[in-house]
Amino acid sequence: MRDGESATIDPVTVEIIRCGLLAITNEIDANICRSAYSPIVAEYKDYAVGILDPAGNLICQCTGGIPIFVADILGIAVKDGLAIYGEDSWTPGDIVITNHAGTIGQHLNNVVMYSPVFAGNERGRPIAFVAVVMHWMDIGGWAIGSVSNNASDIFQEGIQFRTVKLYAGGQRQDEMFRIIEYNTRFPEMVLGDVESQIAGCKRGCKRVGQLVARYGLETFNTVVQTIWRQSEEAIRAAIRAVPDGEYLSSTFLDDDGITPGKALPVHIKVIVAGEDFTVDLSRLPPQVLAPINSGAHGGGHTCARIAFKYLFAANEPVQEASFRPLHVILPEGTILSAGPTAAMGRFNLPLPSVIDGIVRALESAIPERVAGGHYGTFSSVQFHGRDPVTGRFFQCLDAGHGGWGAVATADGSGPFRTMAHGNTRTIPSEVQEAMFPLLIEEYGLRPDSGGPGEHRGGLGTRKRYRMRASMSLLTAFERLNDPPWGVCGGKPAQSGNVIVMHAGKDPEAMPKGECELAAGDEVLVLTGGGGGYGDPEHRSAAALREDLEQGYVTEDGAVRDYGCR
Amino acid sequence: MSAGCVVAIDVGGTFTDLVAYLPSEKRSLSTKSLTTYDDFGRGIFDCIRKLALSLEQIGLIKHGTTLVINSLIQRKGAKTALLTTRGFRDALEIGRGNRPLPFDLGYRRHPPLIERKLRFELGERIDAKGEVLRPVDETEVMAMAGQFQAAGIEAIAISFLNAYANPASERRAAELLRYALPDVYVTTGTELSAEWHEYERTATAAANAYVGPLITQYLGRLRTEFQRGGCRGPLMMMGSNGGVLTAEGATRAPLMLVESGPIGGCIGVGHLAAALGFDQAIAFDMGGTTAKCAVTENNVFAFQSTYFIGGYEHGFPVRAPVIDIVEVGAGGGSIGWIDPQKRLHVGPQSAGSTPGPVCYGRGGEEPTITDANLLLGRLDPVRFLGGEMPLDVRAAQRAMASRLAGPLGYDGPDSIEQLASGLVRIAVTTMAGAIRDVTIRRGKDSRDFVLIAYGGGGPLHAVELARELDIRRIVIPPDPGIFSAAGMLMADLRSDRAATYLAPLGAASVVTASVRCRDLEREIAAQLAKDVDVAGYTAEWRGELRYVGQHQSLSVVFHDGDSVETIRAAFVRAYVASFGHEHPKSGIEFVGVRVNVTVGMERAAFAELSADGAPKATGARDVYSTVARRHVVAATWQRAELRAGLEIAGPALVEEFGSTTFLDIGDRLTVGRLGELQIDCALNGSTA
Repeated sequence: MRDGESATIDPVTVEIIRCGLLAITNEIDANICRSAYSPIVAEYKDYAVGILDPAGNLICQCTGGIPIFVADILGIAVKDGLAIYGEDSWTPGDIVITNHAGTIGQHLNNVVMYSPVFAGNERGRPIAFVAVVMHWMDIGGWAIGSVSNNASDIFQEGIQFRTVKLYAGGQRQDEMFRIIEYNTRFPEMVLGDVESQIAGCKRGCKRVGQLVARYGLETFNTVVQTIWRQSEEAIRAAIRAVPDGEYLSSTFLDDDGITPGKALPVHIKVIVAGEDFTVDLSRLPPQVLAPINSGAHGGGHTCARIAFKYLFAANEPVQEASFRPLHVILPEGTILSAGPTAAMGRFNLPLPSVIDGIVRALESAIPERVAGGHYGTFSSVQFHGRDPVTGRFFQCLDAGHGGWGAVATADGSGPFRTMAHGNTRTIPSEVQEAMFPLLIEEYGLRPDSGGPGEHRGGLGTRKRYRMRASMSLLTAFERLNDPPWGVCGGKPAQSGNVIVMHAGKDPEAMPKGECELAAGDEVLVLTGGGGGYGDPEHRSAAALREDLEQGYVTEDGAVRDYGCR
Repeated sequence: MSAGCVVAIDVGGTFTDLVAYLPSEKRSLSTKSLTTYDDFGRGIFDCIRKLALSLEQIGLIKHGTTLVINSLIQRKGAKTALLTTRGFRDALEIGRGNRPLPFDLGYRRHPPLIERKLRFELGERIDAKGEVLRPVDETEVMAMAGQFQAAGIEAIAISFLNAYANPASERRAAELLRYALPDVYVTTGTELSAEWHEYERTATAAANAYVGPLITQYLGRLRTEFQRGGCRGPLMMMGSNGGVLTAEGATRAPLMLVESGPIGGCIGVGHLAAALGFDQAIAFDMGGTTAKCAVTENNVFAFQSTYFIGGYEHGFPVRAPVIDIVEVGAGGGSIGWIDPQKRLHVGPQSAGSTPGPVCYGRGGEEPTITDANLLLGRLDPVRFLGGEMPLDVRAAQRAMASRLAGPLGYDGPDSIEQLASGLVRIAVTTMAGAIRDVTIRRGKDSRDFVLIAYGGGGPLHAVELARELDIRRIVIPPDPGIFSAAGMLMADLRSDRAATYLAPLGAASVVTASVRCRDLEREIAAQLAKDVDVAGYTAEWRGELRYVGQHQSLSVVFHDGDSVETIRAAFVRAYVASFGHEHPKSGIEFVGVRVNVTVGMERAAFAELSADGAPKATGARDVYSTVARRHVVAATWQRAELRAGLEIAGPALVEEFGSTTFLDIGDRLTVGRLGELQIDCALNGSTA
């Protein structure tokens, strides 16, 4: 087995290198999380780490990276670098960044950083790249955090770095760091995060270099090809099990945030033919003036890839070849394939609905594999103002967790964040009360919010805040008008909403908007549940009794949704 | 307690190990019995009978048990209710809402320990500063006591929002309930953790209450049995924090025993490394189903502040100080298998002890790591477990051929050995990953450490593991098969407390942090004094510090009277060591303080091994060399016959009851003065 390894490689070496590469990305992931500066990186974990081949094809990506980065965000960035610098003109210690909207197609906060790997001290053509994409918490533009509800082009949303070197051949480019420092409102946090991103690239290059030195470049390359081939075969086998056909689904967004009441319809077609899986996104709304656009890679391809992974490759590590059977039809100029100058601050707003819609399209094809719709919105709630005691500006950015859809074998789960999120955590009420002039009066499950079905959808939540000082509130909720759907006969869940209760006045709904609050005012945030699975009439008496006993369903709800007397 | 012998008892999944140290004779006796699941005491007293110990002789008992973790994982605990602040009964179910497996459409966590209908809310409220906005409604509590009784509740967890800032309301509710329901086990969140984050604290209280009645009963009965036999010595329990605690303390906070089992080995490693003059050591324990590792520096272990019951992916967190141990599913019983894409994997499924590896001949059909080692000649089919269990080589060969070699297309004369060697290499890669987790991922270079390997499988894989990690020096302790129990003999009494304290690092906050630490120290000492005679103790203070704006903190030791500058410098040193860079322009802040108090106890010393005599190899056999990739002839030695100063060159096998040490070509072993095997591992030109 030792000789002639080039033709077929022994399975042991394959497994060792496969685990070794994944361990490198996970090691960098853990280090970034522990040393990061901003909440968006440390708590929310808004970053991902990957290893790519010399042509920019993804070999592997860290396990815990958030789904929004599974598209070829890393690859497309490296490919832009290869186009600009050439394939053979790299030096050990180069570190490049890009957030170019025309390349990546997400908000400018998402900055990809990468570095070439060499086996020794040679230069020219690298043997691999290590890349880290990270959300920089502020990158200029007119809104704090660079994300607003109403920017109308990309230039209002911050600075763009298109493929520039932070380090050239190991030399720190001080000019670049000065440009970064003076184009962000939070230079300490951003530069702190950037240091952890740089440390990740450096560590990755060293570890990948060691691995290749140990097993030899030829073996390494053969193993990469083997890993890709095996992964692709596994996924093709899974697609073969889906009946051929064209499958449709539709949903819509409530509005774009600046034109209230004007729904944005989303029509999705999925074509399954043998081992190939095509997502046709040609009937999306055209790009809009509001900042909810994304480019083709950061938007349409990202949605298709995330849905594809949920359906066929939940346990396969993220890498290029697992997406080879996936094809995306996406004409230019839609909301998910917008031009390079479109505003993209809230590019993520449509994503959960589109991902969910792709899964829903397969309801009739693979009923045993789909789930009811999930609550499907980032449900962002932001309190901000000046602390009455310290006089300092504060920003309490909260986002709702909601119910997930029921599946063929079980009730829906949650509350979790959306399908575009992963290992993202809630902020404890105790932390919020200690940091902001707020009291949280209740935070619990919302009975009856799960969609009725043979399997009930997961529950959304109720969270009620009481102001202890005056402040402003900014909200962005979606999917009120097309609530999380049921599948296979299951019923839709209840939608979320934000109810503002000014002291002494009638409660008012404010799903998207901005208002002033006084001490004593209350805000009730309701998040949606997940859709049901199967006809509610088939729900077992035991399951319904259990729901009533535990209070997941009220007696009124049982009468209304399950026809109980 | 100085007169009698000290007994350490480690009740594990398969065996109950017992080691007795006789101070007057300065020597130890040890034995093993099968663990008796219906009544753990029977296995313990079997051991005592085997050693012919009289209970009157015993001056002190130290006991490690997997009872707590098993009860939590198998959900075999008490009927438990939660009492919490109005509006927050679902905190336990909502958790932190994260999904560690990001693409699993049906992802769900293990259900909470206390179901929703047994979670009750009370009218009371404290704010973040600890101010009582609404006191506990005592009439309401007494009414609830009636409800609890009617529902047959056996244990109650009390956890209020913001109680970390003021535990008085929780204490009052607990007092009332203990008075009204004297037979019910009552615990509060802040008794266990005074840190913020309501979910984690509530989950901790719930878990503690859930196992409380079981542990109370178990320890009560065990103590009675010892006392009835005339034993006068106290019963101490091995805590996950690396020290023992009194049986009373363990009854109040059984959660402190969550990793009680494997800690003994870590303590043994700390003391052995210190006795041998090694500053940095990796404790590596490989058993039947898993391998575990931890690092010690100058006999100090790192801690995890949050431990996940049932694992990070699906489990729930508890706040209990647990030595930072990483565990992976690679043990002697781990199964080799191939997936539909013909990818070869090892574990995490294990054949366990029933049916066990194929070669045990007890019905196992899937090839395991033990089978692979047998086929590589590293285990003796005749002398396994001192000859108590002959191994079936043929059966192992057949399984390897039909389950793995055939489907993978391996053929030729040495295909079975190649595959067996491959299984071992994969297991070694997995175990090396665990060691990287506790070294490299914590900012430490594994090459600076000595590897101390024990458990049944540790000595068998030590040289391959060391080569994988570029570790030059390995130590195999005496009696590696019972080393965990032996380590418990050396444990001191220890108790930990932590509190949240948020403030920028400065002269005022250093004073306040010191006051907080002194209070915590006094609290612990008072508690200990209730249970044992405490002549003196040592206390360690730690600040949890971070750069302003960061989210995770580093734990830094400080002392009464330290200046701001001293503390800042210690933090920066720790930060640079972990992450390789610093942030000179950033402010630093406290997020919490921790105190641990240690009371020294008489401990067993390592016995010296005589250098007299000239032992000889007892035989030789064919063994597969991973270095040479072929069979070589290895001398076999009996551990019991070795003498200090003896040198052995690999390839060689050192056999003893319950374990075998393997040396490959180029590895050199020297028997140390404490009977330990010190191995110089050949690193150059030895890898694939």
